[in-house]
Amino acid sequence: MDMFTLMSGLQLTCIYGILAIGVSIIWSSLGMLNLAHGFTFAASGYGAWWAATTFSKSAWVVFGAGISTGALIGIVIYFVAFLYIHDRPNYPIRALIATMAINLIGVQTLMWVFGPRMKPLPKVFGSGVMKLGDVIMTYGQMGTVVCSVGVLGALLIWLGFSRRGLEIRAVMQNPEGAALVGISLRTTALWVMALTGALAGLAAILLSQTFYVSPYAGLQPLIKGLIVALLGGLGSIGGAMIGAVIIGFAEAMTAAYLGGQYVLMVQFGMIIVILLLRPRGIAGLLDEAREE
Amino acid sequence: MANEKTSIKSLVGRRRWLPRFVLSGERTLHRRYIPFTRRTWFQGYAKANPRDLAREYKLDDKRPWFWLIGLIGALAIPILVGTNLILTAATTFALFSAINLMWMLVIGTAGIFSLATLAVVGASAYLTAWLSIDYGITWPMMLVLGTLIGLIFGVIIGLPALRIDGLYFALLTMGMVELCRVYVVSSKTFGVVTGGLYGADSFIPVAWQHHTPGLILGYVAAFCLVLLMLGVYRLVNGQRLGLLLATARESEATAEAIGINYHLARFTVFLISSAGLGLIGGFYAAYYRGASPALFSIDMVMLMFAMIVIGGIGRAEGAVVGTAVVVFIDKIFIEYGPIRLIVIGFIMLAVTLFARNGLLGIRAQFIEFRNKKKSERRAQRTEKGGEALPEEATEIRDKDHLYFLRFDKRLRDHLKTLITPEVIEEHRVKPLGQHSDALERVLNYFRRAGGENKYVLYEIKPGFEYKVIATTGIKGLLPWDVDDVVYTDKNEALHAVFLKRVQDLMES
Repeated sequence: MDMFTLMSGLQLTCIYGILAIGVSIIWSSLGMLNLAHGFTFAASGYGAWWAATTFSKSAWVVFGAGISTGALIGIVIYFVAFLYIHDRPNYPIRALIATMAINLIGVQTLMWVFGPRMKPLPKVFGSGVMKLGDVIMTYGQMGTVVCSVGVLGALLIWLGFSRRGLEIRAVMQNPEGAALVGISLRTTALWVMALTGALAGLAAILLSQTFYVSPYAGLQPLIKGLIVALLGGLGSIGGAMIGAVIIGFAEAMTAAYLGGQYVLMVQFGMIIVILLLRPRGIAGLLDEAREE
Repeated sequence: MANEKTSIKSLVGRRRWLPRFVLSGERTLHRRYIPFTRRTWFQGYAKANPRDLAREYKLDDKRPWFWLIGLIGALAIPILVGTNLILTAATTFALFSAINLMWMLVIGTAGIFSLATLAVVGASAYLTAWLSIDYGITWPMMLVLGTLIGLIFGVIIGLPALRIDGLYFALLTMGMVELCRVYVVSSKTFGVVTGGLYGADSFIPVAWQHHTPGLILGYVAAFCLVLLMLGVYRLVNGQRLGLLLATARESEATAEAIGINYHLARFTVFLISSAGLGLIGGFYAAYYRGASPALFSIDMVMLMFAMIVIGGIGRAEGAVVGTAVVVFIDKIFIEYGPIRLIVIGFIMLAVTLFARNGLLGIRAQFIEFRNKKKSERRAQRTEKGGEALPEEATEIRDKDHLYFLRFDKRLRDHLKTLITPEVIEEHRVKPLGQHSDALERVLNYFRRAGGENKYVLYEIKPGFEYKVIATTGIKGLLPWDVDDVVYTDKNEALHAVFLKRVQDLMES
């Protein structure tokens, strides 16, 4: 494996990891498979692009706009697809369908408003190349890896040590138990949706360093995020990270040695094998526990 | 005459409903079964309409009629309209309905979230088209081979379902769709250059292609396919297999405990639905003379899922109606671009948020809602007015008495509206003899009352002195004095009794 493959594998791992952790946290705390995550992703890209063309191309503006758009969309999803139905019959399947509908509406609205043409985002990390001994990497790759590792580390620390993080983890473990000790599911869910939306916004900007912003840009990342989250076992952050490593490196290596068109084929082949061996994902136990 | 009838209708009862389906009692009804079902066309019961007491006949089950009318309409309207746009849209509708019916068996009856439906159709369409182009098989053979290919795919999809469930199975099947798509898009055999595989044999003669007769033939054939799939749906969903699957869907543990081999049932339903989908795939290839990679796109799967959701999961009519709604919006308003997909998205969202089971579940949901509101209102009612409250009613054994109390209350409510100063004045002037309608009704009610605490006139000195007393209604217990006013005029005394009774009525 040469260094270029390694670096692009690492970059993809980071981005998929961010998305998958979002999907996974939403599933385990809210019991909702958020299929609108792809829309959040695409909309954040557009938010960042709009801010960059309207105000300034500085990294702070781009990141700020992308992340806040993501958080905002997350809150919108919370109000539309969670708040009204979360205590009604048949909630999981209805939430899934509702988020799917939001995705459809959102993506088509982006298509309608901005048109199908792709938009570039400014290179927030600069466009140079850096040499560390043998290893050559672009600033974009460097920035992505450093940024996402930093954010994920901060997220884990925040989840582990802050009071709000404790509440989120309590809801993830057992929503009823959390309610019994006085943790509001609704408030926590609002935080979770804003947080995961912001994460999707961050991932959108990081991925747009190599790809473009387009209405359908969210579909592939959503599928990848779902794959990683399911492969790792829904609800397990550690599992999602392992899944991200497997999927990210598989993608980079397939693209390097077999060709780009086989990427999804290889990934899904791996998923079929892994799911047949471990039907609830690599670290998945929680799905069983969530059943009422 | 008509006037008289409406006046009767406005006087009897409080029901708003009028008869919908009136038959005379002597008429013999057809009681033949609809073929292959245990329903009859006219099975129902006779009852008197509470509104006008006319004899009416209510059908137990109107669904056969809805199906008949709907299907005849669906067949006739596109052919009668006859434009190419409508015919193409109608054929798309028929094809998608057939696919959705088979999908509904898996997703509704068995409750398994499989997304591989279109993959089976696509695979069968591609393989039969390829066989037809390269080996020259004819279209009837394409249908047969398509079914076989579907069966093989059924085994491939059904086996993992024995081990994996829920979202993990959805992901697995999504993976299969993607594998098929990537293979087809990049394979030389299946037309990587032309963006599809075309040139297969078709049941539509070449001369008729893309002309109205060919489109009509295509639509009629697709319609027959829908009928076939409706039959299959009914055979699976309405019979033993459907029952086993529904039990396992509600609770696997229960199903296992009562001895249902639900793994086998699920495997069987995968085989059946995939064979049906394979047949549809063969038909697709024979209709379009080929297949295109659009069959495998995620967007298409989402759109089809929207159809099922909008119609209502778990019922055949849901699959058909949902398909009709979505295909109509998608194909007829094609010049509106993304807006029509946004509209579909909003319909899907609204149906999901507010309807429990799709568009066709709205009626049942509304009835439930209305009953809930009714009982809430009844529970909130604090005014008693002589009627038994629901919690008292359970203690009273004679249920006739409850109805009497309710009737009596309503009657009193009505009589209260009749008592006006004019009526009282009328009685004062002439206590006995012929009266106005209102006064007569009030007096009739008073006369009919039981003996308990009933005001009567007592003659102290016949013809000269009167006073008002009240009877106890109990044998051997003497009446009691109400007050000590002595009346010398009999009419005045009668009016005093009337006033006392009116006062009690107004206070009740």
